[in-house]
Amino acid sequence: MRSLLNLLFIFGLALTLGLGSAWYVIEEGSGLTTSYVGPWSVWRNAGKPNADPYTKAHIARAGRLPITATSALYFFATSDEVGKQLSSDCEYVVEGRPLNTAWWSLAVYDGTGRLIPNKADRHSFNRTDVARRADGSFRIVLARSARPGNWLPTAQQGSLQLILRAYGLRNADNVLDKAAAERGLPTIHKVVCR
Amino acid sequence: MRTAALNALVIIVLAAFIHITAVLSMPYLAPKNAWARISALSDANRMFVLPAASPSHQSLPLMAPDVRYSVCRFNLNEGPVRLSTQILDDLWSIAFYTPSGDNFYAITGRELKRSRIEIIISTQNQVGVKAGASLLDEIEDLIVVDSPVREGIAVIRAPLLGPSYAVQTEAALRRGACSRYLPGSDFRR
Repeated sequence: MRSLLNLLFIFGLALTLGLGSAWYVIEEGSGLTTSYVGPWSVWRNAGKPNADPYTKAHIARAGRLPITATSALYFFATSDEVGKQLSSDCEYVVEGRPLNTAWWSLAVYDGTGRLIPNKADRHSFNRTDVARRADGSFRIVLARSARPGNWLPTAQQGSLQLILRAYGLRNADNVLDKAAAERGLPTIHKVVCR
Repeated sequence: MRTAALNALVIIVLAAFIHITAVLSMPYLAPKNAWARISALSDANRMFVLPAASPSHQSLPLMAPDVRYSVCRFNLNEGPVRLSTQILDDLWSIAFYTPSGDNFYAITGRELKRSRIEIIISTQNQVGVKAGASLLDEIEDLIVVDSPVREGIAVIRAPLLGPSYAVQTEAALRRGACSRYLPGSDFRR
């Protein structure tokens, strides 16, 4: 009896550790597969046929079809620049310079990945429709109620996630270079919470 | 003491084995991967314009709200497949995937430098296609894509240059076609 319990314990613990660690590195990524730049994370090899097994597992589980990371990158943010989870209770300013890509788009989703219903039917800003300053930089405000300029409406409640898509990268490795990426990617700054 | 060490070792080895198995099998077992979702939506060798992402519906998770997509789930078992589409802008792209999501080929409007293209998708051993296609030398717009898999997905992405472009973009995607390629048939139709 004791040895059976012992066996069950060993197997249960191994199962928990094995599946738990697999789930974590597939969902959240790790230094092996993912780069973290400020609030943004990016799967460096998404879509590449020769990608590592973790990246392939992540993409399959996500159910997405990313363009190979040699020509497009997808940056995800679920927290602001100080690491606090993005929440509909707060207002944020996303500020940056256009990425060195043929096209980019910044879209907001709720915590479960749905687009957020709003009267303006506005879910993203992109290289072609964002209002820019004379020097090319832009400022997008995430808030529940209308704001002047580039206003990206958020939900009444719940967490938020941002995806910055960069299509037609001139040089993906350059974008992934940490210092260059930090200069190039927008900042996410919390203004106020209600 | 020795049993404890042995138990720990067994746990670690077993956990590592389970970890590796889970990771490696995920591309084939994930019940809601993109291939499963697209198979549920459209028949093989048909062009299908995905409904625009909206708060109530997304055909694939985390679709871009400002990109319109059309897909062709190609099946080469009976022979090569032909895909044709307008390319309204340099930003448009066509990307080809294996069922597990590997993007084995992609080309953009910028590289194509033309407003309409025809693509023949074939496996490497479906020879004769290239030879046949090259006979149609009046067709300059033809691209032959070698597929490493017999079934896969082609995705045309059309980023919107602004909200007012949606109707025009969707209409252009709808004019695209995907079907079995029958050598000898009039290519242009």
